[in-house]
Parts: sequence; C-alpha cells; structure tokens
Amino acid sequence: MNKTEYLKSLSNELGHMPYGDVKDIIQSIEEHFDEGLGEGRSEEEIAASLGDPKELAAEFKDGVKFNQIMKKRKRLKDYAGPDGRGRIFVILFNAFVGIECWLLLLAAIIAAFCFLAADLAFIGLIVAGLITGTLTEFMVPFIFLILTLACVAVFLVALLILGIKYYAKGLKSYIRWNKNIWNYGLGED
Amino acid sequence: MNSQIKKGILDLCVLALLEKGDSYGYDLAGSLARKVEVADGTVYPILRKLASEGVVSTYLQESQNGPPRKYYHLTDAGRRKLDSERDEWIKFCGEVNEILERGETGGKADE
Repeated sequence: MNKTEYLKSLSNELGHMPYGDVKDIIQSIEEHFDEGLGEGRSEEEIAASLGDPKELAAEFKDGVKFNQIMKKRKRLKDYAGPDGRGRIFVILFNAFVGIECWLLLLAAIIAAFCFLAADLAFIGLIVAGLITGTLTEFMVPFIFLILTLACVAVFLVALLILGIKYYAKGLKSYIRWNKNIWNYGLGED
Repeated sequence: MNSQIKKGILDLCVLALLEKGDSYGYDLAGSLARKVEVADGTVYPILRKLASEGVVSTYLQESQNGPPRKYYHLTDAGRRKLDSERDEWIKFCGEVNEILERGETGGKADE
C-alpha cells in the first residue's frame, strides 16, 4: 500500500467522525509519511509499519468515544437541574427559525418530487404519441426532447436521493442538539 | 503480550517519553515502537486522546527541511498524572510479580 492508498483507506474507515477530526488525523499521518520519506524509507515500508489502517481507525474512534463519555460524565456531574434559559431558547429558536427552515427544505424536496413526476409524465406522453403515430412527423425533435427530459429526470433522482439522505441526517442531529440544550442548558458545547 | 493489557499502559509510556522533552509524532512513534512491540501508528490515537485530556499540549515548529512539525509538550497536569500513575504502576507490577513468582516456587514447596 502506498501513501495515497493508506490515507484514503484510513479516512474511509474513520467515516462518521466530524470532518475537522478526520482532517486533523489525516494530517498527522501524512506528516508521519513525510518524515519517513525524508529518512529515505519507501512509502510501502512506512505504511506497513504504521499498521492496518482499519485497526488504526478503530483506535482513533475508541479515543473519541472515551472523550465523549468523559464529557458526558462531567456534564452530568455539573448538572444542577433544568436550565430555564436553555428551554426558552429552544422554544423561541424553533418557533422563529428552526421549524421554518426544516419545513422550507421539506417543501423544496416535495417540489423536486412534483417536478420529477411532471417530467416523467411528459416523457410518457411523448412516447405514447410516437408509438400511436400521432406525432410521427416530429420524430427527430421529439427524440431530442425526450433525451433532455431524461437527463433532467436522472439529475432530479440523484438530487432527491442525496437531499433526503442529508435531510434525515441533519434533522436527526438537529433534534439531538435541541435535546441537549433542553436537558443541559446553554452552558457547554 | 495481550493487547488489552498493553493498551492501558501505553498512555503512561507516551507521557514518560515526553518527560525528557518535547517531541513530534514520528519521533515518538519510533521511540515507542523500538521498545514495545506495537505498530508505529498506535502513538497517534494516544497523543490525540492525551491532548484532549489536557495532559499534553501541541505547537507547530519549523523543521530544517520540509513542512513544520507538530510538537507535543507535557503540561503540568500531565506531569502530575505521570508521577502518580507511574508510582501506582510500579507498585502494582511489584505485587503482580510477587504473586506470579511465588505461585511458581510456592507450588513446588507444597509438594
């Protein structure tokens, strides 16, 4: 395994860690490679002595888990009953900003769905027209139109898949963030 | 050696290596891997954890050739942790050794 392969594999294995952490870790391992190369060692040799990227990633993740547990424990220790300010913040933030933003994004996803449905219906109509022979004299321009509409459909499907995935992910962490403030107040994090 | 046993004590080893003076990742990885049978990479998750606990701090320093190095420094909190845990470990090792060694000779004496 060379340097690029090793770093790529490591960052894949780190997967769900926050971007900043992954960047930081990759940077330190990259630095390790550069130091080794400076000593005249080969990329493969350095990669082998660093150990399996999967195991290394697991060790990094264990460290993060440990920190989260310690943080939570500290927070529980400092916990002195519900924080009124935190709860008011959650209610006001959701009333004026939070819920509106999420509804707006939901509306955008629904709009994209409708657009996709209309696009597919349009393709269907033209195909039906061509098959039944009503549109045969415009064959060539209609085929181009179908191709264009098909491209739009593919683009919309990709957009929707990504959009829904990140919407769900984002909503989940948004709810977690709210819960945290609701339970532990505004103080930390 | 059993990796679970090793893992627990490596944090302390890294702190001890830093007691002699500030150092950077590659150097620490080499020092650790030369003495204990671990992969070079092992030191990095440990350094990260130690930094987040505040027992080591980091800073960047120019190296003669190539990009700046990230140096690790043992903080006062780190020094305190090292002192107390080192004594604990040495005491614990003594006790374990006593049991293990007596287990051997004691068994023979009983016969």
